[in-house]
Amino acid sequence: MTTTLYEDRESAVHRLNPVTKLVAMLSIIIIVFAVQIWWVALGIVVFVVMPAAVISGTGGRLLSLSLKLLLPILIVLVLLQGLFFPEGTTVLAEFGPARVTVEGLMFALGIGSRIAALVLCSLVLLLTTDPALLMTSLTQKGMSPKMSYVISSTLQIIPAFQTRAQSILLAQQARGLRLKGNPLRRVAAVLPLVSPLVLGMFTDVEERSTAMEARGFSSPATHTSFVVVEDPLGQKIARWALAAIALASVVLSLLGVFK
Amino acid sequence: MSTSHTPVEANKVRNRVFVAIGAVVIIATYLYLILGQPSEFAEGDFGQASLIAIIGYLLGSVLIAAGTIHRLPTTTIALVPVAIAVNIVVGQIAASLGLPIYLDSIGTILVGVLAGPAAGALTGALTNVIWGMTISPIALPFAVTAVVIGVLAGYAGRLGMFRRFYLAPIAGLITGIVAALVSSPIAAFIFGGATGGGNGAIVAAFRAVGNSLLASTTFQGLLSDPLDKVITFTIVVIILYALPSRFRSRFPFVREYNVFGKQSEHAAPTRAPRRAAGGSDSPASTTGDDSRSSDSGTTPTS
Repeated sequence: MTTTLYEDRESAVHRLNPVTKLVAMLSIIIIVFAVQIWWVALGIVVFVVMPAAVISGTGGRLLSLSLKLLLPILIVLVLLQGLFFPEGTTVLAEFGPARVTVEGLMFALGIGSRIAALVLCSLVLLLTTDPALLMTSLTQKGMSPKMSYVISSTLQIIPAFQTRAQSILLAQQARGLRLKGNPLRRVAAVLPLVSPLVLGMFTDVEERSTAMEARGFSSPATHTSFVVVEDPLGQKIARWALAAIALASVVLSLLGVFK
Repeated sequence: MSTSHTPVEANKVRNRVFVAIGAVVIIATYLYLILGQPSEFAEGDFGQASLIAIIGYLLGSVLIAAGTIHRLPTTTIALVPVAIAVNIVVGQIAASLGLPIYLDSIGTILVGVLAGPAAGALTGALTNVIWGMTISPIALPFAVTAVVIGVLAGYAGRLGMFRRFYLAPIAGLITGIVAALVSSPIAAFIFGGATGGGNGAIVAAFRAVGNSLLASTTFQGLLSDPLDKVITFTIVVIILYALPSRFRSRFPFVREYNVFGKQSEHAAPTRAPRRAAGGSDSPASTTGDDSRSSDSGTTPTS
């Protein structure tokens, strides 16, 4: 699985049960969106997410990925909300239709800190969790084995499809397909790429579904797993505690406590 | 699918409940975000809008995905991963070619049309999950849009929008408008309008003339989504008409709702006539050519 961000290492974060990490990620995202105070979101990033990345040895990857994924969004956000915030009253500077307002910048800070927490938290989960193991442990917690089949096999076939798409593209270019020119021409160039890809997909599906049926995929009996993921009691308690905190923050937020 | 076992029957009810609650949660979330916001937004504070947006949309999508997956037969389940791969690979190529459209829902729409709204919804939801796992977690909050696209593609097929070549782009236009409306609260309340470089500039232009953030992201969505979906639906209908009818009629949904009609081969420019014209086997092959055999009145499968 070369498509995923997972880095196979040995660390305390890697050893955690994948479900625990998933619950932690979801709880943090919910708390950040419920509390809506920018320094809470940044505090969680600095004191929870970043230490987890450093302990797991994925800090460098996290930094480069977040520069690539997060920085463009944050720049657009600051420019957009900093310059164009008609609701703002405290004007710092004015350039024609664009006005830099304190309210706009504060708004950008609030939204930006939440997006940062959302993206960084998900990235730490993805960097430290083997997708196959995550699917196995979710299945053991009651998720449909069909769901884990779909997700795991998609992750496996994406590289094959990328190679296939590249070779179709090269073959069509060798036959005279032009990928440059005006946008309309480039859109039209997609069709000779997509139709062979989809036709190939149908043959794939036929073989796969026959193989799956032959192995009792749709059997209603309980499926057993080859890998049993450890789930110590401490992590179970931690998961329930995190979920309870997240729920409490949502309730408090709806009651208007964080205003 | 075996329905004779009692646990399966019990699960069926549970799955329907999941899908129904999921749909209600999504609709309620959307209505709250659209109707409940303008007053609070004047202070530049969203109140609970971003919380409601992320929880409501994610919960609804998860419920629908969990409720639909059990109903699907193995052939459909086998189709979903490759459809997701098509979504992601073509979407990446469209981005790398610098196309003005996304083209990241071809697989979702194909599955919706061939296997029904439930399968389309599942493909859409899981596409964004996988996109979030492999390319960028930013895709995750938008999963609900993909669910809606898959469902609408399924109903378009069911209502006969793929029986005529020229009806598919109309279905695409409607899907695009709905997709823009559903995704604009996500862009506004979760991302503050900053979802990508070019989109941000368009939102800024609408903001500069005094629109609210939600209105600006809605206008931005309406500028890009309907065009994208019209082109995507057109590509899908061209591909589907080029497929031999025995491929298409393998899907129970296609047979049950007569998705392509009996006359579909007349209405569309298929590849088959060209092949027949080029080859030397035109008068003799009455059984070999698929498109011809379905023309002669016999329905492909019972």
